[in-house]
Amino acid sequence: MQLTDAELVHRCREGDVEAWNALVERFSRYVYAICVQGFRLREQDAEDVFQDVFTRVYERLDSLRNDAAVRPWIAQLTRRLCLDKLASGSREEPVEELAPSDDGAIADIEEAFAVREALAELPEACQEVLDRFFAKDESYRTIGAALDLPAGTIASRISRCLRKLREQLEGRNEP
Amino acid sequence: MPETDYRDVRLGDFLEGLTGGAPGPGGASAAAMTAAFAASLVTMVARKSADSWAEAAGAAAQARGLEARVIPLATTTAAAWEAALEALGGAQDGAPTERNAQLEEKLAHSAEIPLAIAEAAADIARLAAVVAELGEGTYRSDAAAAAVLAAAAARASAHFVAINLGTRPDDEWLQRAVASSDAAADAASRALDAGP
Repeated sequence: MQLTDAELVHRCREGDVEAWNALVERFSRYVYAICVQGFRLREQDAEDVFQDVFTRVYERLDSLRNDAAVRPWIAQLTRRLCLDKLASGSREEPVEELAPSDDGAIADIEEAFAVREALAELPEACQEVLDRFFAKDESYRTIGAALDLPAGTIASRISRCLRKLREQLEGRNEP
Repeated sequence: MPETDYRDVRLGDFLEGLTGGAPGPGGASAAAMTAAFAASLVTMVARKSADSWAEAAGAAAQARGLEARVIPLATTTAAAWEAALEALGGAQDGAPTERNAQLEEKLAHSAEIPLAIAEAAADIARLAAVVAELGEGTYRSDAAAAAVLAAAAARASAHFVAINLGTRPDDEWLQRAVASSDAAADAASRALDAGP
């Protein structure tokens, strides 16, 4: 069973090295996506920000008031460091030519990661059917053949799984 | 020549394009767009059913996904058919066996896309049947209409597969296309039987 964000933060505070590794693993793609897709940083700059983010997370974790809010906290930290990086590397460029913090793109990234994590908490059968339909663009016939299910039942099965996914997401968003 | 995204083409221009023949959209493109119309209708009925059907949002999401899958096929099928026509026009070049092999390959490729349209249309018809049975009563007739449109698209696409694979009647693709057409027809019957 995967630890919740709050449980993971709690273990990090207690000095659990494996928890630290798990925290970096959990948020690394998220941080990198904000750098590259949200702020369009070059690879080297994105790697610098990536290092800075996790260094600061390590140094300042005790200042986090709500352990469950570690994700938005890391996102805010990443955004600020991306802007710093852009400003420091673009002194000769007019301000308006700096790569913008595309709020829409960052919101999309955050949503995509939230969905991805909620998906990981669904039963494997649901994960597989949703992956096959939405990520691999497989037909109901192909999915049915692979899972040994009648093609006519796949649409309802996907709808049920999407409902579970929505419940999972709504559960995550509750205070 | 850049490929046309039919999502960005005015309906009147698309219809005008159909009247011109190749190069341009033809019957398979029209089938793909018909399937897309059907998917949009399914989305609408599912969305209208959100208050009375817990899984309506899931059905709407699938319909949107199928619509996104089928629209690009309207473009690719036109391009593949043009390539096949060009191959037919150049059939005098090269040795006879080589010419036949090249022609068969082009025609086979031009059949692959109608097969994809037939399978997507069958899925749209299946989904439409579910929505017609479980969706909001006021809109079920729209879901039934969607199923019938999708079944027509699947049937037309299976016909193109059969024509393009004319020399290979036992081909697996043809069998899959016919199976999709049959499944879509069954789904349309279910949707029509669902009642208002």
